[in-house]
Amino acid sequence: MALDIEAIRADFPILKRVLPNGKQLVYFDNAATSQKPKCVIDAMSHFYEEYNSNAHRANHTLADEATAALESARARISSYFGTGPANLIYTSGATEAINLVAYGWGRYNLERDDVIVITEMEHHADIVPWQELSKTHGVEVRFVPIDTKTFTLDMEAFEVALDGAKLVCVVHTSNVLGVRNPIERIIEMSHAVGAKVLIDAAQGAPHERIFFDSSGADFVAISSHKMAGPTGIGCLLVKTDVMAEMGPFMTGGSMIRRVTTEGTTFQEGHAMFETGTPRIAEAIGWGAAVEWLAQFDMREVHAHINDLASWTSNQLLDIPGIKIYGDPSHKDSSGAISFLHDGIQSQDLAMLLDEGGFAVRTGHHCAQPLMDALGVPATNRASFWIYNTLDEVQAFIEYLRFICERFA
Amino acid sequence: MAEREWPEQLDEIIEEFADCFDAMERYELLFEYAQRMPTPLAEAEWDDQNKVHGCQSNAHVVCSLDENGRFLMRAGADAQLVQGLMTITAIAVNGMTSTEVVELKPVYADAMGLRNTLTPSRANGFLNMFEKVQTAAQNMM
Repeated sequence: MALDIEAIRADFPILKRVLPNGKQLVYFDNAATSQKPKCVIDAMSHFYEEYNSNAHRANHTLADEATAALESARARISSYFGTGPANLIYTSGATEAINLVAYGWGRYNLERDDVIVITEMEHHADIVPWQELSKTHGVEVRFVPIDTKTFTLDMEAFEVALDGAKLVCVVHTSNVLGVRNPIERIIEMSHAVGAKVLIDAAQGAPHERIFFDSSGADFVAISSHKMAGPTGIGCLLVKTDVMAEMGPFMTGGSMIRRVTTEGTTFQEGHAMFETGTPRIAEAIGWGAAVEWLAQFDMREVHAHINDLASWTSNQLLDIPGIKIYGDPSHKDSSGAISFLHDGIQSQDLAMLLDEGGFAVRTGHHCAQPLMDALGVPATNRASFWIYNTLDEVQAFIEYLRFICERFA
Repeated sequence: MAEREWPEQLDEIIEEFADCFDAMERYELLFEYAQRMPTPLAEAEWDDQNKVHGCQSNAHVVCSLDENGRFLMRAGADAQLVQGLMTITAIAVNGMTSTEVVELKPVYADAMGLRNTLTPSRANGFLNMFEKVQTAAQNMM
């Protein structure tokens, strides 16, 4: 059944927003964060209005309801990602999830001169924790380059870099290029040399179903807010045997079994890594988001986004002075279109687009090594999601042509 | 300056912006001002020390005192929007005493009718540039 985009749009109150200058909002900054359907907003409001309480602590009705909702969300979210609740550790987002691997697994399992393989395509969240671990634990961090003609990972260089690797950390889908990496092959090649694999699926999860157990990955980092859920929550999915190799990362309340003046013993499983008061409202909101998303076939969602991105990128290439970084019309692309105009600086262009109501991202996208490889300091990026329409991208191209003619 | 929110030489410029038909015309005017920087900083002089950090564009500012002990701001940016605002800031501060620069408020950018110039976003080039100029003035007092 084809997607009913108008019905989908009706679920998102913000899409009716008129900006202070009277322009109708056209939201093309979905790779930064998606908008939230009413059911997510309602689920969170309902929690605060009806049963707000701390979870896992008291023995009163509200506490029981909050705990049940938190754990029911865990079951719902883990099931959506093709795994069990015991394999899901709530985090503040994908960034904390990656840091959890660095500090909760890396610190306990890696030694001086052990090799971590990452790529030039990574978000800073999947670069800086490894550089920090390198400083404290003497691990070697190897970067796999990208082919700047095809904007894809250099898989020959990847194979060479794997020699002696203990951990491989790769982004599922680039937030800048929209390129979806050959994750299945990467997992297989990495396991063949005995390396563990972490997939940063912050951009991948909003575009395709992630089935953790069958993927073979050891760790998958996911962010809620890019897939219709609230900000402030994400998760690390971890294989059961790999979780057993992990030790505490952040310490404090909730994650302990017993604290005495002599020392502390810790909880086991995901509880060891969820310190302090849980993100209860956020988990409930994310649970509502995956339930909302589960009504769609993500292959249809992807096809819809891919149609918009293909049409838009073809039109963009027709505008003199515009260069696209990536291949947004590729069948696997997430549809993020990074582009630059040779006569209008990226920040200027973003400001002018904003004046027309079009929200696009501008900057280095927290991927400076990739910007260095591309030889640019920043790009403009239009990124689409389930609720964007052909009318919107047509209006975008028309307005962009007007801007280019007037200001270039 | 006690009664004024910005120096006299900005009155005409602010009026020019106020007379613009719409936001697009204001941006066009700002882009024109970007070409009229009275004290430009050549790209060859752009370095890490004079870079305006926290700005999405590549923007640089060098402040000094001229032979009469008056404030002199030289600046350059790759974004026309930032360069235009730098031009107007240079017109405002060049020739002032350091104390006058420190006391200046950035409200003139708002009065020009440009949106988002005074929002405390990390990506706000104008405010970061303005703060850099005022810090330099403070250090000269």
